[in-house]
Amino acid sequence: MKFTNFLYYVFINIVETLIRFFPVPTKTGCRKIGSPDQDSPVFLTCNFHLTVLRVKRALRGIDCYLLVANSKGINVWCASAGGLLNNHSVISIIKTSGIEEKVEHKKIILPQLAAPGIEANEIKKKTGWNVIWGPADAKDIPSFLKKNFVKTTEMNSIRFSIIQRIEVASMWAFMISIILTIIWLPLFLRETPAMLIQVWYISLVVFLLFPLYEPLLRLRKRLLFVNLGRILVFLIILFSAAVGIVIYVFAIKQYEKWLLIRWCIFSVSVVILIMIDLAGTTPVIKSGLLEERTFSIAIEKEKCEGTGICIQVCPRNCYELNSKTNKIRMINAELCVRCGACIVQCPFDVLYFKNEKGQVISPDNVRKFKLNLMGKRDCCIACKISNQLIKA
Amino acid sequence: MKVLESAPYRYDRGIKILTLGRITKSYDRIIENIQENDRVLDIGCGTGMLSFRAILKGAHVTGFDINPEMLSIAEKRAKELDAKDKLVLIEMGVAEIDSFEKNEFDIVMSGLCFSELSIDETNFVLDKIKGIIKSGGLLLIADEVKPQSILKRIMHFLIRIPLVIFTYILTQTTSRAISGLEQKVESAGYIITATKRNFLGNFIELVARYEESDV
Ligand SMILES: C[S@@+](CC[C@H](N)C(=O)[O-])C[C@H]1O[C@@H](n2cnc3c(N)ncnc32)[C@H](O)[C@@H]1O
Ligand code: SF4
Ligand code: SF4
Repeated sequence: MKFTNFLYYVFINIVETLIRFFPVPTKTGCRKIGSPDQDSPVFLTCNFHLTVLRVKRALRGIDCYLLVANSKGINVWCASAGGLLNNHSVISIIKTSGIEEKVEHKKIILPQLAAPGIEANEIKKKTGWNVIWGPADAKDIPSFLKKNFVKTTEMNSIRFSIIQRIEVASMWAFMISIILTIIWLPLFLRETPAMLIQVWYISLVVFLLFPLYEPLLRLRKRLLFVNLGRILVFLIILFSAAVGIVIYVFAIKQYEKWLLIRWCIFSVSVVILIMIDLAGTTPVIKSGLLEERTFSIAIEKEKCEGTGICIQVCPRNCYELNSKTNKIRMINAELCVRCGACIVQCPFDVLYFKNEKGQVISPDNVRKFKLNLMGKRDCCIACKISNQLIKA
Repeated sequence: MKVLESAPYRYDRGIKILTLGRITKSYDRIIENIQENDRVLDIGCGTGMLSFRAILKGAHVTGFDINPEMLSIAEKRAKELDAKDKLVLIEMGVAEIDSFEKNEFDIVMSGLCFSELSIDETNFVLDKIKGIIKSGGLLLIADEVKPQSILKRIMHFLIRIPLVIFTYILTQTTSRAISGLEQKVESAGYIITATKRNFLGNFIELVARYEESDV
């Protein structure tokens, strides 16, 4: 039984990673883990099927309740930034799942990455429940509990580990493979398998090499109208794609002009497609498509009361509390992904977005933007595509 | 009806086309139960298709919805119809329905909203309505339901497939038809006084009464 469970887990992980572009909703409601009692901790997650599966796995061996809240089948971070995992989802699951009869405390542990979309203050006001921000990654939950709800810097931060990178690469490669097979198979039957290999090869190169060229993507320098760093990265990837073509030509030992042109056009298209919003596809660099990219965090220091909440919710560890003045300061501003979590959660409206022209996005507007502007906000290429479709 | 909700400005016309005009007639019929000066609550009022019909009958309506864009359309329309003093709009979810007063409403109604709720939410709402509606008050529901007979279920299923795929591609969500609505309403303690299903059996108009028991 144990082994079949594991097989199922692996199988679902593979399938749902490949179709990651699409939401897979699962049932909302209260799930029991182990044998919880009235003092057991209460966790919350989204109703993306794969997330629920992974969180349940992370919670193995802990007696607790897991509330699965409605996020329309989308993962926590995207759903909360996009306004789908919002105050309503949390209020609803607390009040309708029957959890209030099951436990005697009123403490709920939310995933840290839900902070852009859920206002801890509102939840307290509407339900009386206190929000505790859990770790960014569910895997850290056991050590988070052991440490008595204290989060280390590691637990706060979002990473782009090699496994995550392979996952994202597979997601792209799989999507492109399907489209390619439909178009190419009838035209060039014999060539298709090699082309599929090329697609997977390009995708993997793009994401495996990511740590090497990450600093380039952060470059602000511009060449004519385009970002210099991005051009350089584009050229690197293009070069690796060219290597793929050369290998193919050698392998089939046949030189033909049309074949070469076909492969070049096709490879360049794949590279462009993956590169359009490479930054947005990673969790560690802000999407280049968003308007907020020109904005950065501004601090009204006098108003800061030193609560440290912003430190709790920032997935990039941008903040530090000055131990003498008890005021907040930014120590890693260049790492900020503009998720807005800190702005949304600060109880004293200390933080806001401001750009070089002096334009300001107020905390209230950030809250409104993140919450409830259902479907109006594009956070990355995947949102952009589906929102364009809806508007068309 | 998620496709249309993500484009609220097209919602009204879209839903009429999708339901082949059926919705207009259903809503008109269900509104027959409302009298002048009734205090009415519209759950998931959206753009106000039900609310405005009730207002035209002389009722005072409170409508709530979680989608602020739908609400802003309702508000604009209220201004155009000069009905602002007859309509109160609130942005909130069904889980907050217990924030109203006891006996605050004569009628509680809902069009196409129950089908978007989870089972827990549905049971919660049905239970909490009893705390805000007066004794003898009416619950009016017009919504998509699962047909009862097997044959109709199969037909319903076949007809729904293209619609579901279409919605999923556009919005990556689907709405589900409610199953066992009548049982849920009854076991929550209402007396069903009338139901009307369409030919396929997948759309219901339901009228139920709430009588406070003395115990
Ligand atoms: C299909 S529309 C129907 C709107 C309107 N009653 C009509 O007939 O035109 C469903 C509405 O229910 C709302 N809704 C969905 N879930 C809700 C919830 N949990 N609480 C309140 N409203 C909700 C949606 O925002 C949407 O406006
Ligand atoms: S900026 Fe706001 S959240 Fe951060 S420490 Fe100061 S008051 Fe607290
Ligand atoms: S500082 Fe930047 S990355 Fe950190 S929470 Fe605020 S917006 Fe997000």
